[in-house]
Amino acid sequence: MTNRERAMNILHYRPVDRLPAVHFGYWGELLTEWADQGKIPRELAIGNGDGSEKDMALDKLIGWDFNWYHCTGSNNGLSPGFETKVLEILPDGTRRIQNGAGIIEKHKPGVTSIPSEDDYLLKDREAFETLYRPKMQYFPERVNVEYYKHFNETRPKDIPIGLHLGSVLGDIRNMTSVVGMSYLIYDEDEELFADLVDTYAELQYQCAKTILETGAKFDFAHYWEDICFKNGPLVSPEIFDELCAKHYKKRCDLCHAYGIDIISLDCDGVVGQLLPTWFENGVNTMFPIEVGVWGDQFEPARQKFGPGMRGVGGMDKTAFRKDKAAVDAEIERMKRLASLGGFLPCPDHRLMPGSKFELVQYYAEQIKMIRL
Amino acid sequence: MSTELLNEISENLQRGKAKVVKQLVEQAVAEGIAPAVILNEGLLSGMNVIGEKFKTNEVYVPEVLVAARAMNMGVGVLKPLLAEEGVKAKGKVCIGTVQGDLHDIGKNLVKLMFEGKGLEVVDLGTDVSPDTFVQTAIDQNCQIIACSALLTTTMGVMEEVVKKAEAAGIRDKVRIMIGGAPVDDAYCQKIGADAYTPDAASAADKAVELCRELAGDVA
Repeated sequence: MTNRERAMNILHYRPVDRLPAVHFGYWGELLTEWADQGKIPRELAIGNGDGSEKDMALDKLIGWDFNWYHCTGSNNGLSPGFETKVLEILPDGTRRIQNGAGIIEKHKPGVTSIPSEDDYLLKDREAFETLYRPKMQYFPERVNVEYYKHFNETRPKDIPIGLHLGSVLGDIRNMTSVVGMSYLIYDEDEELFADLVDTYAELQYQCAKTILETGAKFDFAHYWEDICFKNGPLVSPEIFDELCAKHYKKRCDLCHAYGIDIISLDCDGVVGQLLPTWFENGVNTMFPIEVGVWGDQFEPARQKFGPGMRGVGGMDKTAFRKDKAAVDAEIERMKRLASLGGFLPCPDHRLMPGSKFELVQYYAEQIKMIRL
Repeated sequence: MSTELLNEISENLQRGKAKVVKQLVEQAVAEGIAPAVILNEGLLSGMNVIGEKFKTNEVYVPEVLVAARAMNMGVGVLKPLLAEEGVKAKGKVCIGTVQGDLHDIGKNLVKLMFEGKGLEVVDLGTDVSPDTFVQTAIDQNCQIIACSALLTTTMGVMEEVVKKAEAAGIRDKVRIMIGGAPVDDAYCQKIGADAYTPDAASAADKAVELCRELAGDVA
């Protein structure tokens, strides 16, 4: 049985020989750590992106079967992006940088966390119409049609490959910042934010449609949002549903029309309040099911939505920074969740600095020994 | 009449109508309502409602931010007048995201809620060292050090803040609050901090409570 068959069988409640060992990538700093420790070749720590040759080489070294984030898509974002440029260097060395989405970020030397948002360009209707709408137009060069025409022959055959559908609100948040998004939702121009969401969604739909029309076949489709945090969603579920539900439905219906019935969505944080909008409009697979200090989210979702709600994720990655006992406890928990069916255990985000290489290897080995 | 106007300020603040709040505050000042009354019964009263609703998921981050923007517009009108009258804040807090961490959305929300409770806030920004937290508390006579972290890899700095505060001998007059995605009450107790709160509004309530406790101790 290939890992592609294993993954798809599990998500469709069909028999499998064993669980596959699935992961969701690594912090760059962790790969550097492992290279410094001599655990992995230095070249695998550099430029190691999801689904890349290096990622798959590292899979073999560690014992993973595949990375769920092995997806492919198109140039479905702002095009051209804004020029990335340093606007200012502050006395302490902090750089104010305008990024490709038009957000001004603060980058501090020696600090590797996600930068803080300092300002943004998309402040009003004029900014949208002059700066952003032109960058959200579909044009044929956005999709590498030639690549997709041959995709079925050239793609890896033994692991699942996803079609990346983009996002509905996550990218918008990245263009406006959390503060900017909040102000735009309540702008005096009451149509502005919906206009922004609708325009971007239409672009992403067109890109997905063009890919699917080439005949390329995918095992699943995937969204990215990251629109929740510890206390729930960044916007009210009502506003989220009003703005976004129709776009999820349209894109998911498109996938269904092309035979894709597993549609996952990447959102960290506590996602429960947005699950109804997602599930009712075609998203049926939670990912990466962050555990955090709030615990498991998958089983409550399964109880609420039934077997139609699948999951990939849910393994508390912080166990890899602890000890074998912590990893064993997670393996037992994963075994239980997997026994519910429709669930692929996977670390609940990219493995972070301090994760012990041998514990990760141990986990991958043990997960593959689980029979359902 | 003044009660009506103060209620209007509060309601428009809750709806995030910043320009309207500014106009209404200016009107209230012109009508001779005491600035402290406008602040407490108009602006802070409205933020209090928002805070309670945020705790129970009746409103979310955007509603808090637009309400806070409206509050700040109103406070901007009152600030010089409050200073003239010698109106004091209910306490002083220094807040920051801990060293190694640049996430500040949560920290900024907490800061807004602190201000919404009438606390004075010294915002240290992000990537704040334990020494900076402690020295700021000493230099600026803060009653509270509030530390935020979003990453499991940076939350350990919070324990360093507690140790530095102990070493500086200020634990009897400064309380340490922690918050952020990877922390919880068990972690707070483990590192010897004084309070963990799960959301920004609860943090503001707790901060006011801690400032009152300290004031009571002094008395």
